[in-house]
Amino acid sequence: MAAMRFIMNAGRTSKQGQQINVGKDNPEYDAIVSTLTFHPDDLKTLGVTAGMTVRVRSEYGGVADFRCQEGKVPRGMIFVPYGPPTCRLMGTTTDGTGMPTSKNWEVEVEPVDA
Amino acid sequence: MGGKVSCTLGEVKNRADFIVYWGGNPAECHPRHFTKYTLTQKGKFIPNGRKDRTMVLVDIRETPSAKAADIFLQVRPSKDFEVITTLRALIKGQPVARDMVAETGLTLDQLQDLAERMKRARFGVLFFGMGLSMTRGKHMNSAAILTLAAELNAFTKFVAMPMRGHGNVTGGDVIMRWTTGYPFGVNLARGYPRFNPGEFSTVDLLIRGDCDAALIVGADPGATMPQPAIDHLARIPTIVLDPKLTHTSRLARVHITTAVTGISAPGTVYRMDEIPLPLRPALKSPYPTDEEVLRRIHMAVAARSRPAPPVVWPGPVAV
Repeated sequence: MAAMRFIMNAGRTSKQGQQINVGKDNPEYDAIVSTLTFHPDDLKTLGVTAGMTVRVRSEYGGVADFRCQEGKVPRGMIFVPYGPPTCRLMGTTTDGTGMPTSKNWEVEVEPVDA
Repeated sequence: MGGKVSCTLGEVKNRADFIVYWGGNPAECHPRHFTKYTLTQKGKFIPNGRKDRTMVLVDIRETPSAKAADIFLQVRPSKDFEVITTLRALIKGQPVARDMVAETGLTLDQLQDLAERMKRARFGVLFFGMGLSMTRGKHMNSAAILTLAAELNAFTKFVAMPMRGHGNVTGGDVIMRWTTGYPFGVNLARGYPRFNPGEFSTVDLLIRGDCDAALIVGADPGATMPQPAIDHLARIPTIVLDPKLTHTSRLARVHITTAVTGISAPGTVYRMDEIPLPLRPALKSPYPTDEEVLRRIHMAVAARSRPAPPVVWPGPVAV
């Protein structure tokens, strides 16, 4: 299956917030921040199922691997909680604001283990 | 237009009958916001609580916060500035092209309805989150929504407030403001404050590799900043003060475990409406507070610093 383009929207979730208070230095936190949520139809088009791994390349040149899951996001958009994998995809310029563009990147997603 | 028309969360609780959340997901990120201040509380001029309030959510996806909203408006990614600008035109009765509005993912009817509701409100609030400030447009989006709130005051009382996160980030900004005159991105290297976001802000300094040491207090840039910034933190001597091991701790030369503020350390925390709240610790901690550690580092550095030689002017003159 060829790579597909998506808008990647990173944010926070309550599950992630709870886990931060337990500690980030554990596999549960790593699993939360390494899981991408897709619209079910996008997952089918990409040729992967929930639990499989995909590789994401951002418009800024970063690459990171994520596990897939279905969820409530619009078609063409993927959601992921902030964490070390999103750091690898983020842009490095702040446009003079001090804040890197941390949401709504254009990314390319391809299956890794399809 | 500059500045921010704002109020306290107490005023929101007691007066606000029209609440807009824009680019934020309070149900997950500020879970007590609805119940403490904005929706379910009964207020002095809002005797019936939730029944007296209308809540609108504007976001690019249907988050759990949408369940709490009376109206959910799903805008296309990075089209917030266009929507806000359209609302500014509509509240002033300016003509707006229907097909241009369609590009935002919303219809002109939806925005006309929102504009009318905003003007009819007795006390309206625009809470805006990172969906505005961290997407394309950044500070221009924030400026647009602050301007919209200011302009709505020609018709009714309207305020705007950013949905600040992470405990005491508001405190950091407020203290920097009244000590240096600027909220962030301040360089004190010349002995006086200079403000220049993009040059002196943390991300930019780290990515360019301008700093040769870092002291991180209660933050985790190793899990939040762009990778080149993280790589630079790993190259230079980095010291972390945090109650827990973080991703930054892993790449730091030194991690000092400190007591948790508000649980086992006293202090002052600033709420998102910039109201300072004193914290009393409920438990004792075996670890020192951030303040104690910083004070001891400061004293140790001061003890090792040699006093500067006295300045003599005019200096010795060769005859």
